[in-house]
Order: sequence, then C-alpha cells, then structure tokens
Amino acid sequence: MKSDVQYNLDERYVFSDKAKKNVFIVLILGIIFFAIGVAMLAFGGDHSAAHALAYGDPTGHVGEGGHGFSWVTRLKSDLWINTVFFTGITMIGVFFVAIQSAAHVGWSAALKRVPEAFGSYLPVLGVVMLAIFLWAGHDLFHWTHSYLYNETLENGQPNPQYDEIIAGKAGFLNPTFFIVTVCFIFVWFAFWFFIRKNSLAEDLEGGTERFWKIKTLSTLFIIFLAISSSIAAWMWVMSIDTHWFSTMFGWYMFASWHVSGLATITLTVLFLQDQGYLKMINENHLHDLGKFIFAFSIFWTYVWFAQFLLIYYANIPEETAYFIDRFQNDLYKKAFFLNIFLNFIFPFLGLMTRDAKRKTIILKIVCFGVLAGHWIDFYQMITPGVLKENGGFGFMEIGLLMIYIGVFVLWIGNALTKAPLVAKNHPMLQESLNHHI
Amino acid sequence: MQVVSQVREPLITGGKTIRDITEDISSRVEESPSAAWLGGFAFSLLMFIAGGIYLGDLLWSGIGRWGLNKSVEWAWDITNFVWWVGIGHAGTLISAVLLLFRQKWRTSINRAAEAMTIFAVFCAGSFILMHVGRTWLAYWCLPLPNTYGSLWVNFNSPLIWDVFAISTYLSVSLVFWYIGLIPDFGTIRDRATGKIGRLMYGMLSFGWDGAAKTWMHYEAVSLILAGMSTPLVLSVHTIVSFDFATSVIPGWHTTIFPPYFVAGAIFSGFAMVLTLMLVIRKVYRLEDYVTMEHIEMMNIIIIVTGSIVGIAYTTEFFVAWYSGVEYEQYAFVNRATGPYWWAYWSMMTCNVISPQLFWIKKVRTSILATFVLSIIVNIGMWFERFVIIVTSLHRDYLPSSWVYFSPTIYDVMCYIFSFGLFFTFFFLFAKYFPVVNMAEVKAVWKESNPRVYRARRTVSEDEIPAADKKAIEKDLVHAH
Amino acid sequence: MEKNKHFLVGIFDDQDELLHAVEHIRHAGVKIHEVFTPYPIHTLEHELGYKRSYMPRAAFLFGATGTTLAIAMQSGMMGIDWPMIIGGKSFLAIPDFVPVTFESTVLLASFGMVGTFLVACGLHPLKAPRLFDRRSTDDKLVMAIDLGNNSLSEDQIKAVLKEAHANEIYRKDFTDEDNSESFLTYLVDLFTKGVTSSSRKLN
Repeated sequence: MKSDVQYNLDERYVFSDKAKKNVFIVLILGIIFFAIGVAMLAFGGDHSAAHALAYGDPTGHVGEGGHGFSWVTRLKSDLWINTVFFTGITMIGVFFVAIQSAAHVGWSAALKRVPEAFGSYLPVLGVVMLAIFLWAGHDLFHWTHSYLYNETLENGQPNPQYDEIIAGKAGFLNPTFFIVTVCFIFVWFAFWFFIRKNSLAEDLEGGTERFWKIKTLSTLFIIFLAISSSIAAWMWVMSIDTHWFSTMFGWYMFASWHVSGLATITLTVLFLQDQGYLKMINENHLHDLGKFIFAFSIFWTYVWFAQFLLIYYANIPEETAYFIDRFQNDLYKKAFFLNIFLNFIFPFLGLMTRDAKRKTIILKIVCFGVLAGHWIDFYQMITPGVLKENGGFGFMEIGLLMIYIGVFVLWIGNALTKAPLVAKNHPMLQESLNHHI
Repeated sequence: MQVVSQVREPLITGGKTIRDITEDISSRVEESPSAAWLGGFAFSLLMFIAGGIYLGDLLWSGIGRWGLNKSVEWAWDITNFVWWVGIGHAGTLISAVLLLFRQKWRTSINRAAEAMTIFAVFCAGSFILMHVGRTWLAYWCLPLPNTYGSLWVNFNSPLIWDVFAISTYLSVSLVFWYIGLIPDFGTIRDRATGKIGRLMYGMLSFGWDGAAKTWMHYEAVSLILAGMSTPLVLSVHTIVSFDFATSVIPGWHTTIFPPYFVAGAIFSGFAMVLTLMLVIRKVYRLEDYVTMEHIEMMNIIIIVTGSIVGIAYTTEFFVAWYSGVEYEQYAFVNRATGPYWWAYWSMMTCNVISPQLFWIKKVRTSILATFVLSIIVNIGMWFERFVIIVTSLHRDYLPSSWVYFSPTIYDVMCYIFSFGLFFTFFFLFAKYFPVVNMAEVKAVWKESNPRVYRARRTVSEDEIPAADKKAIEKDLVHAH
Repeated sequence: MEKNKHFLVGIFDDQDELLHAVEHIRHAGVKIHEVFTPYPIHTLEHELGYKRSYMPRAAFLFGATGTTLAIAMQSGMMGIDWPMIIGGKSFLAIPDFVPVTFESTVLLASFGMVGTFLVACGLHPLKAPRLFDRRSTDDKLVMAIDLGNNSLSEDQIKAVLKEAHANEIYRKDFTDEDNSESFLTYLVDLFTKGVTSSSRKLN
C-alpha cells in the first residue's frame, strides 16, 4: 500500500536559474508588448487607438478634468484591473489556508505551503493600489471630483455639475474610506503573518497546539474577510459605475476571485511538480483541486446569473444602465459573452469527467482558460465604467498583464523558497499522504 | 487502510461493534410503539384533523376565508410556504453538500434530515395548492395541451419556475432518500421474524443483496445525485427568492436575494434538524451515534449561516442607502422603525444575535442551550419571511390597501394543519423506518472508533504511546 | 460441475482483511463470483477487477436530453406556437428559460440514472434475492465462489480461502427452484414454510 512510500518531507524549493530565466522572458516580452501597445496608441497605430484618440486629447496628455480618453487613461484602467485581480488571487491564497484549517480538511495538508506562500505579496499590492489611487483616482473614480458635491457654486449660482445621487453617497464614497479599504489588505496580511508564523513554528515543535492556534486565527480571518471583502468590492469596483448599485456585487466579485485563486493554486502545484517537487501530491489531490475549480465555477455562474437575471427581468432604468453600457459596444459585448463561455461552459465541460480532473494537462488548460476568463470578468467590470465606449484591447493590455504575471511569479517563487515545501508536522499530513478518492 | 489524524474526534462512541449498529437502529423499528410515540402521533393527528376542518372549509368556500381583499392579507400564508420550503433544505444539504465536502459526521443525521426535508416540502406544497384557490385545477400550472387553442403556461413567470423547481426538488429528494434507504431495508428484512414484516421490508428493499457490483453502481449513483442535488437545492430557494426579487417592489427587488435566501434556508433547516434530532437522540438512546461532536458541528453551521444572513441584512440596508433610491430607503427604515418594528427586531434578535452565543464552546456543547436556540432560530426565520412580505406589501402602490395585517382563524388553522401533516409523517417515519443510515455509519465505523482502530499518528517525532504503537504495528501487518 | 449452483462461501470480519484476501485469491487464480457486504467498501470493486460504473454516462445522456427537451418545449410554446409579449421582453427571452431548463435537466438526469441503476442491478419490489448468508446485511463480509466456474477443485479453493484468513468457510448449494426469481414462489414459501425458509435457503 501507498502508506509506506517514503517522501522527502524536508524538501525546499530552489528557484532555479532556468525557472527565473523563463519568468524574465515573460517579463521582457511583456515590457516589449506594453511598449508596442503604448506606441501604437500614442501615435495612432490601430483602429481602437484611433477611436480612443478621437474622443481624447490628441496630444496624449490628460486633460485638466481628467476626462480625456487618452492611452494614459486606458493605462490607468488596465493597471486597476490587474491590481484588483491579483489582490484577489493573493488574498484567496490566505483564504484557502484559513478555510482548510477552520473546516479540519485533511486532504490538502500536503500542499498547504503553496497557498500559504501567496500572502507575502499582499503588502506590495496594497502599496501599488494606494499609489494608483493617488495618481489615477480622478480618472478611475468619478466620485473623487469635489465639484459633484456642492449644490451651489461659490457665486451662489446652482452648480450645473452637482450630482444629487453621488452627493447622497458621500458618507461612503470618500478618500478616507477608500484608504480604509486599502488598509483591509494590510489587515489580511497581518492575519497571514501570524498564521504563517504558527505554521513555521509547527515545523519545529510538532504537537497539535499550533494547529488549534492556526484554527482560531483562521476563523477570525474568515469573519473579518466576510465583511471586508464585500466593502472592498463596493469601493474598488462597484463605485466606478458610481450611480449603479447591486447588493450581490460583493459576493459576485468574491466568487470571481475565488475561482481565480483556486486556479492559481492548482497551477502553482502543477508547476512545482513539473520541476520535481511535491511528489506526494498525486492525482487524488489534483482531483479535489479540480472539483473545487469545477464547483466554484458553477457557483460563480450562479451568482452572475442571479444578478443578471434580476436586473434584466425587473428592467429598472438605474440598474439596467449597467448592462446597456456593456451591450452597446462590440468589444464589451464580446467580453460579456466570452466571460460566460470561459468561466462557465469551458470549465463545466472541461472538468466534468473524473478523468479530466486527474490529468495534469487538462487541468492546466482549464486553469489557464479560467484565469483568462476571470481577467476578462474584471475587464468588463472596470473598463466600461472608466473609459465609457472608448475601451480597447491590444498589446498594451497583454503586455501589462504579462508584467503583472511575471512579478507575481517572481515574488511567489521567492516566497516558496523561504520555508520547507511540506508542513511536516501538520497533524493532518498523514491523512493527506494517504488520501484516496 | 484509512489514516485518521489525532485531532479528529471519533464519530461513533461507546465502543460499538458493527453488530451493535444494526441492533441499536433496527430494534427501534422492530419494537412495538411506545406510549410516548402513540401520544405524540395522536396529537399530530389531532392537529392534522383540526386544521384540516378549517382547510376543508377554506377549499369549499374559497380563499376569501383568509380575508384576501388587500395584498398584505396574503402575508401569513406566503410566509408559511417560504418557511416550510426553507426548512426543507437542510436534509439534502446535509446529504449532498457535506458528502461532496467529505464531512463524515453527516452519516448519523442525514437520514432523519432528509425525511424532515421531504415532509417539510409536502407542507410547502400544501400551501401552494391552497394558494391556487381552486386546488382541483392546480394541474393548469403544467404545460399540458388544452382546449384553449393550446394556451401554454407562461415560462417567463417565476411562479411557473417555482412549480418546476419544487416538484423537481421533491421528487429528486424522495428518490435520493429512498435509494439511501434500500440497503437498510435489506438489513431489516433479514432480521425480520414476522411474515408481514419480512414481506413488507422485502418489497421495500427491492431485493437488495449488497453485492459489490451493486454497491459500486450505488456509490456512483449517490455521488452523482449528491452532485446534482447541490445546485438543485440552491436553485429551489433561489427561485423562491425570484418570486419576490423579479418584481419592482421596494424591499423585494434586490440582487442579493438568491444566495441570501439559500443561506437563510440552510440556517432554518439545520435548526429544525437539531430540534428533531435532539429529541430522537434522547428517546431512541442514540447518544453514541449523534455525539456531542455532531451537535457542535451543526451548531457551527448555524453560526456560519446565521452570520451570512446577518451580513446580507446589513448589505441590503447599506445598499438601500447607497442607491439613493428614496423608495428603497423608506422600505428599509420602515422595516426597522415602522408599525412592524417588533417583527423586525424579533427577526434580528433570533437570527443574527442569538446564534452568536454559539461562539461560546460551553453553549454549543450544551444540549439544552442548543435545543432552545434551535427553536429560537426557527421562530426568527418565520419572522424573516413575515418581515419581508408584510413590510413591503403594507405600503404598496395603492394607499387604499395600507392596512395593518392580522391573521384570521383560517390563517392560523392552516398553519396548524401543516404542523399536523409534518409531524404525522415524521412520527410514522421515526417508527417504521431506520432513523440512522446504518450502511453509511458502518462504512465510517472503522476509522471512527478508537478502540478498534488506532493508527493515529503524525510524522512528527513525538513519542507514540506504547499501546498505540502496538495497535499501529498490528494494523500495518494487516495492511500487507 | 454445473454453474451457479454450487458455491464455496468465505466469511470475513474486517474490510482491510477482505481487500487483501480478494487480492490474494484472485492472484491464486480463483474466480470470485461476488462479494456481499453490509456497507460499501472503498476500492473493493477495483480489487475485484470490475469496470468503473457507467452511471455517470447515463446521467449525462439523460441530463442532456432534459436540457434539449426543455429548451425545445419553452421556445416552441413561447416563441412559435403562441407568442406573447410579456414584460416587454422578446418572445424568446432566453434568460427566463434558464430556471426551467435547469430543473428539467436535473429531473431527467436523476430519474434516468436511478432508473438505469435499478434496471442494471435488477432491483425492484418483487425481487426475492438469493442470499448466501443472512449476516451479509448485518456485519459480515461474505465472499461467494462458484465451484462450477472454477477449474480448481473444491479443496484447493478451500485452502486458498484459508490462506486468505477467511473466518468461516462452508459450501452452499442451490436447487433450480432456489435460483428461480419468481416472487410467487417466494410468497408461497414465506407463508407455508415460515420466515426462516424464505429469502431463499438461509443457513
């Protein structure tokens, strides 16, 4: 039987030069693509850029009011998509560890160091997010303009730009509260820091004391996350379409993040295995990861559909406007349908059978597809609100995404080297090694 | 060979053998009914008949008996329908979702929970049939060819979605439950000493013989039914929430309704399972099968779902303010401070605040506290539906229908009728069917009984106690 | 020897022992007729060399049928046969058809699969099973080896079973009458000869 196979429980990840080289190739390609994209947009290379320029400042500079739809605005929107997307993936790494611990899950013990490595990236994203807000806040978030809130001008005349609805939201939509939501990232990081500390201490000490401590921390983290993730979603993404609102939005975005995070965890495990690590992870563990991606893709679809159907059915103008924006533009329409295809139909059919979940190649394809799909999901959540009908998709988006991926992989690869790859004293490790479906 | 971590509590206590499991569960079916059972059953029948008299009058005279001349007068009966459907979610959730997540503690409670589910859906269905008014024409809800030039049902209507959802849910749950019962009927058949018992359980068991090949298909069928029941159970309460949320009534039209209704349904369902399980456990002396660990786990699910519901209440409130829509804002402020403030705050106290007591280990491991809180949660969930329905309807578009709702005797007696229906079925189930899934409990017996199986170790270098060491060596010898 | 009439029965107590016994016995070249257990045993079907269950495929086919039928029914009725404008939506308001389509898919998949299961395993209310040992629905794991289907002699198989740590080994013979699946015979048996004789010859 399998139980007597000896695994190397002390193995450590070495971020080899070859692996690093591959990441740098992605990074450099990304920078090249990005440069091509910028050049094409700035000098009017392709159709979408010309389209964008028609509405923007022809010199490529941002206008005073920040409403010029130049390539810079588009860059801001792209930066925001990637930052929010990767923040979610990183946070889900911590969430995965926490939920496994709180629910006493045995099978995942052997791979727990992989999602555990994600958390260290959170503060970087927190800083990036704050920097983008300071630089690009006015372009991304309409509500940051102070003129919206004054009913009268200084001379006593009624302010034509006064927006009663946005003014009514001032209690939530203000820069202070935005900074509070960015602070959530640092609180998540703090939870991660203590969970990680206990987890590493467990390696040295053994016993079950640390296990229970991690469980308490995880429970507290989950409670905090349940509240903070929704508020963050409203602030970071829902407020871009400032007039629009949906009670489901927080859970919808969390569902999107969750699938992306699971796909990233699975891909990281698979790549580590390709490099000869984590031999104890067999097709049974992959099967469970695949099941998670399958199930939560369906969950995402459920949340997506419930939100869409209710707005479509009731047909109330202030809600429907959101989807009309996304239907009157060919590019957004494509994104809308690609979103459903890549995030529902593709993983549903791709991972339906037992065999598919147990084959690394199929898992890899589906994970990449799902990740692309959820990036598109964030694209269609953010771009139409920021750029109105002037959004585009080209080298700049691809290049920037590759840069984000490159940095993420470098950071996580480095984080993985910091601790043994297996939590060798985890009380459930033996269960995990003997896991069989 | 299964390896079980030392941090897990055993699922079955008392050093039971597999024989004991058969004996403890089957003998409850074989014994003749106790006085307590007869009393309880008679009382259920009494409720059934007393409520049934009023229901008969209602059906004969029409649902005007409920005082339906204002929209808000529907409140009581729709509340009952949604409440029962909500309760009817836990059983399938326990067997399906917990099976998929491999939560093995489900094995001792899933049978009773599924039975409860099915009977609760019967009650919910009875309210739909009452609502139709002319109950004998209820089949008009189905897309059947007819003499009106084939005028079809309206597939754009959430009420028709409801017809499909609830009938599918009821029939699939019944099938799921029955498939699970077949092996246990086989066990009872082979123990039966009377001719009638043997014949009846023989027929109920479908000629089950426990062949490995049958088990193989059976396992696949259970897993797939679980996989399909999971979205099904979500879809049912989602569609019930669509009944409200597709409208444009302030307080009803909100996109969070589907998942929030589902969480609420799980919440109330688990509370009902706890209420019933605590009684069965005591009366049938099943303390070794439904252990403190089981009760604690269910209490934890109650905290989780209660908190989700709490977050949803807050989200609704926040977004009503954030939306800037005056009517939404009024609807929510009116809920908390209007004429029905008492219902709103009962709901908040019972659903959101009181379950938080379960964070305290002492409370969630106390039988009495669990029992009391489980009933409080069910009261709270009734109020939740009442609040949603009444507060939005009592100030709807026609000021002439702005009245204060008070139930008629027919409203109350129809509710009593549904309780009679529920408990009549439940008492019959508890007497003639095995209340615990013997086959599934036997399957987790080996890894959950420390007396028999002690290969509990980590790979740490902690010294393993000598007694455990011996047991582990013995197991390893067997394993090779 | 005639097939399906003369059996050797081996009784086991422990599931892990049984799994190793199956491996051992099959390795020794003995064909196992079937194993009867009171609860499902993980990987037993694998040890016995059974092909994986085809229930998932049945569920998929029935489910796909349900999806197709539901879409056809709704678009036919709402879009072609009697189009009506409802809520300002188009005749084919696809999002509105999703709930019923989903329910029909699940309904057909579940009923189709369970039906396939009952037919494949021959389970129905009037079936009277041929039991080798009544304890197989209680706590014993019962292995049946068809002597008519094995080239080894009875004694040789007995020896193999003993090596595999079977706790009890005995021979069980069925007559043609025992093997008939008639419910009537079962009923008559039950009411004329009493409970112990029904369910086909119990020891």
